[in-house]
Amino acid sequence: MSVSIADPKMMASSSSARSLLRHTFVLTRRSVVGRLRQPAVLAPAFIFPLFFAALGSASFNKLASDPYFTANIATSFMNYAVAGAVLQGVLFGSTSAAGDLATDIEQGFFERLLASPISRTAIVLGRLAASMVVAVVQVVIFMAIFVVAGARIESGPIGFIGLIGGGALLALAMSAMMAGLAIKSGSPEVVQGAFPLVFVLMFLSSAFFPRHYMKGWYRTVADWNPLSHIVEGMQGFMNHELSASQFAKSWLIPFVLAVIGIAFALRALNNRLAAS
Amino acid sequence: MSNTITEQTVNIRTISDGARPFEVVAILVKRSMMRVRRMPSAFIPSLVMPVFQLIAFSGAFGFAVTSLGIKNALDWYVPLNAMQGASFGALGVSFGLINDMQTGFFDRILMAPTPRWVTVVSSLAAAVVRCVVPITFVVIVGYIGGMNTPGGFMAIVCVAIASIAIAVVAAGFALGLTFRMRNLGAATLTQFAIFFTIFLSTSQVPLSAMSGWLRGVARINPMTNILRFARQGFLGDVTWEQSWGGIIAMAVLLILTFIYAMTGIKKFDQ
Amino acid sequence: MQELVEYNLVTQAPIIATGLSRSFGTGDNAIKAVDGVDLEVHQGEIFGFLGPNGAGKSTTVRMLTTLLKPSAGTAFVAGYDVVKDADKVRRSIGVALQDAAIDPLMTGRELLTLQAVLYGLSKVAGKNRGEELLERVGLTAAADRRVGTYSGGMRRRLDLALSLVHEPTVLFLDEPTTGLDPMSRLTLWEEVKRLNAGGTTVLLTTQYLEEADQLADRIAIIDHGHIVRQGAPRELKALVGSPTLSISVASSETDEARSILARFGDLRPTSEGTLGVGLARGAEDVAAVIRALDEAGLKVRHLELDEPSLDDVFAEATGYRLEGADAANKPTESEAAPEEKKSRRGRK
Repeated sequence: MSVSIADPKMMASSSSARSLLRHTFVLTRRSVVGRLRQPAVLAPAFIFPLFFAALGSASFNKLASDPYFTANIATSFMNYAVAGAVLQGVLFGSTSAAGDLATDIEQGFFERLLASPISRTAIVLGRLAASMVVAVVQVVIFMAIFVVAGARIESGPIGFIGLIGGGALLALAMSAMMAGLAIKSGSPEVVQGAFPLVFVLMFLSSAFFPRHYMKGWYRTVADWNPLSHIVEGMQGFMNHELSASQFAKSWLIPFVLAVIGIAFALRALNNRLAAS
Repeated sequence: MSNTITEQTVNIRTISDGARPFEVVAILVKRSMMRVRRMPSAFIPSLVMPVFQLIAFSGAFGFAVTSLGIKNALDWYVPLNAMQGASFGALGVSFGLINDMQTGFFDRILMAPTPRWVTVVSSLAAAVVRCVVPITFVVIVGYIGGMNTPGGFMAIVCVAIASIAIAVVAAGFALGLTFRMRNLGAATLTQFAIFFTIFLSTSQVPLSAMSGWLRGVARINPMTNILRFARQGFLGDVTWEQSWGGIIAMAVLLILTFIYAMTGIKKFDQ
Repeated sequence: MQELVEYNLVTQAPIIATGLSRSFGTGDNAIKAVDGVDLEVHQGEIFGFLGPNGAGKSTTVRMLTTLLKPSAGTAFVAGYDVVKDADKVRRSIGVALQDAAIDPLMTGRELLTLQAVLYGLSKVAGKNRGEELLERVGLTAAADRRVGTYSGGMRRRLDLALSLVHEPTVLFLDEPTTGLDPMSRLTLWEEVKRLNAGGTTVLLTTQYLEEADQLADRIAIIDHGHIVRQGAPRELKALVGSPTLSISVASSETDEARSILARFGDLRPTSEGTLGVGLARGAEDVAAVIRALDEAGLKVRHLELDEPSLDDVFAEATGYRLEGADAANKPTESEAAPEEKKSRRGRK
């Protein structure tokens, strides 16, 4: 990566790549433990997606009698709702993690980290990797709950891995963008302010209801919304035979977004360092 | 030191005869409005959120509703989001109260010779005034979107009554909780309570379209009755048959939350 | 009972508290913020309520102003029981609480109007009274500005004006000058004196000795929830009696110096790094003290002789100095002559 901002002292003692890896690992672990220690903060990212999925399944199951739905979308509304819940959970989780980062910056804890002989890139990557770990845990728990409730993964074990990978990559993309926002603004309010926007984007996608049934401008927005395609890739794993397009949608799109997001976050970090 | 009675006369002249309750209510409501005007940033979300939800619900779930025979998804969602917007707008009084507790301004009101019910009623009245704007906003957006009102003017009256009632219930519950908790957690908890109460009713689809557990919960949820009352004029004529359940539910909730708020301020006084 | 109340109305002092106590929390964790406070404030006086942060001043004031119910004891304000007749007490008192509780989004004039309505003044009476008070505290020009733009001194003056809207007979001022610059403080003192000259009884809490000394006819010192002294400042100073000699020596010689000083009178707490003794025979002992120290081979680095001040009264009563003292840097028991402290507590 061209934005090498590892601390010179550390670079002198070992090869920079290895120290970056080691620091990232240590910071990831710290961050994961930190997140898991605050169940109250994580709880909404579990409760709301599951609640909406349950609500949708109980409200919209009549849709399963629509021939188009059963032929092209899902076998039941719950099987349809799984991917939306995963998407929602991962997005909520990543946003609240970025809120933590902004709080750290505001309270000066971040400055202290920066002053320590730890690679600056590792500080950011550690957070992002932690988000991925939390997302994997989250997806596995969600899937377990849904399977117990009667959902079926039509594409089999590889599809299960596809869902986990999709969730992790989406967490990476979202965390990177939100971390960039947090570093750029240094204000938890701004990150929290972005939260409703995430919500809006989800509603304007196939996350809660199939795009096929939307009309007018609403449909147009949903068609262009990348979240629609990501979640439809995940819905593919749940409801159809395994296919490459499912990976293309649910892995490739988040991956591209993640690259953009990481570049944005590191740039924001460099600017913050240059300013201080 | 002893409590001996000294040879002094205390001047007991006072020009205060105690406050006139309705004037106090009026000026406290005026103050609440003034705070909204002078700090609009705190009020805007309660305007934007219901309108966004109206658009999102009818845009995303429109098919689910219209396939059940409802002409326009807005007919189904305008009453819901007017009520939701009203209740979230009413929460502003809880934020205001917490702010007053933190600045000590609330002590000023407690030290004044006004009965405690005046304080509670002022907050509830402020909630009513606050919720008028989001209700109007939602109805106007619905009108622009082409909603139907076969019930005529009474359709709007029913929505307004239901929304104001829910706003007062939300405010009363929030006040009771704020007096007990004395922090922002009270407003957050009330938000959750409103959220779940509304969603666990006929918020998205009618009872007949629901399956399993949700149907059981929505059937006993008083919000279902209130929603039926609010929606009737948008789906057909306003009739007594569709009204009485909602009226009873509103009355019971209003009484209970008022008692909760009053016992809350009494507790606070200890 | 009815007769007694009537009798109280015309003959009792405007503030009487007996055994007033308040604890927070329950069971073993209960903290006694105020513990058996007896107070009597006379008609027409300025009464200073002195103590460090957390001593129980504000809690006492909150009980006297009906904001907090006492756990035990009774209090009569303006002749009325603060619990049973809270509403009548509220009509008779004016209160300016700590940190000037005012809404920064409102203007001074709006706040005065609100206050007038809260106290049941008619529209015309409220308006006239508001203008008069604005004039009086020098805020007429700023009356239509939002309070958020006011300086600390202006806020306090507005707070004072608000507390006077209904012409109270008893005025409570809770730390009215904390955080103010010296000029603003003087302005406020002048206003309090003027009010008092007009017949208003004033109870003011403060952590500034000078404020109590300047303003108060009588004072009470509160420490750890107990009243440890009560009386006119002059009388209290006379009780301390002898002047205080404070010296500083090298820290290795402190113990020896202390034992020498003890021969000339009671040891007294002083500021950190110095030793203090109340000279039993007054200033004439100074030479003898220096001589004794010199004979012992101790070198005096600094020496000061002070006539008794309120600070000495405070130190003698509590075992530590108020000026600059917070709960955080109160001296420990060993430094503050524990046996004396105990006996004083008992005397209360």
